[in-house]
Amino acid sequence: MSARIEPGRTDPRRPWRRSMRGWWHRNPYYLRYLAMEATSILIALYALILLLGLWRLTEGEAAWAAWLAMLKSPVSLALHAILLPVFAFHSYSWFRIMPKTLPAIEWRGKRLKQTTITALGIAAAVAVNLALLLLLAGVQP
Amino acid sequence: MKRSHEPVFWSLFGAGGILAALCGVALVFVTGLGAPLGWIVSPRLMEFDTLRAFAGQGFGKLVIFAVIVLFLWHATLRILLLLHDFGLGGGRLTRWIGNGLALLATIFTAYLLLLL
Repeated sequence: MSARIEPGRTDPRRPWRRSMRGWWHRNPYYLRYLAMEATSILIALYALILLLGLWRLTEGEAAWAAWLAMLKSPVSLALHAILLPVFAFHSYSWFRIMPKTLPAIEWRGKRLKQTTITALGIAAAVAVNLALLLLLAGVQP
Repeated sequence: MKRSHEPVFWSLFGAGGILAALCGVALVFVTGLGAPLGWIVSPRLMEFDTLRAFAGQGFGKLVIFAVIVLFLWHATLRILLLLHDFGLGGGRLTRWIGNGLALLATIFTAYLLLLL
């Protein structure tokens, strides 16, 4: 590691530094990484929509009805139609990366393959999502 | 050596990421499409009385709190990393603003849930 040069001062050695400008279109992998990271903005947006709903819920029935009407607007429906594949993509990329972040897991004396862990994770995501959907579909208030 | 508080943020990031990965799709469908359009789930699922009753008990409060707060902490860490990748902020000030906003949202969510 080279010593940090304070901002505004130039290193007398003038080492060559590769510019970081436009790094995201140098390699298709970088673009995929960015697409994955950009989902976080939409996850935050969804959380804020729910937070707004909770706020309206505390304000009474009229405020809640206005929030529900907002959810029924074409803009909101279109947004949620976009959020759906975004969350699915988050789920896929989460479990694709998960094995790389875990210590090696052994199963019957063999190291569990990364693809197996990813497949198990995705299977769990499908199962939990379906279970939640069926549970909520069964609720008849 | 000064202890780092980074692990706290990474734990919240991980918890939010797992929660979103496991039930995000179903949640978005139910709250954003299913209930407003009356598809698959009952349109009465998201009526005022139903949600007030749900948020009125401990389990409901916990679910709502976990979803909103963990999603926000998860997204905050990734947005901060994204800003850093583009050479914007990335310094201590940006992290303080990002984490500060997430903390404010956490306190606000808890406050709203205690009102119900």
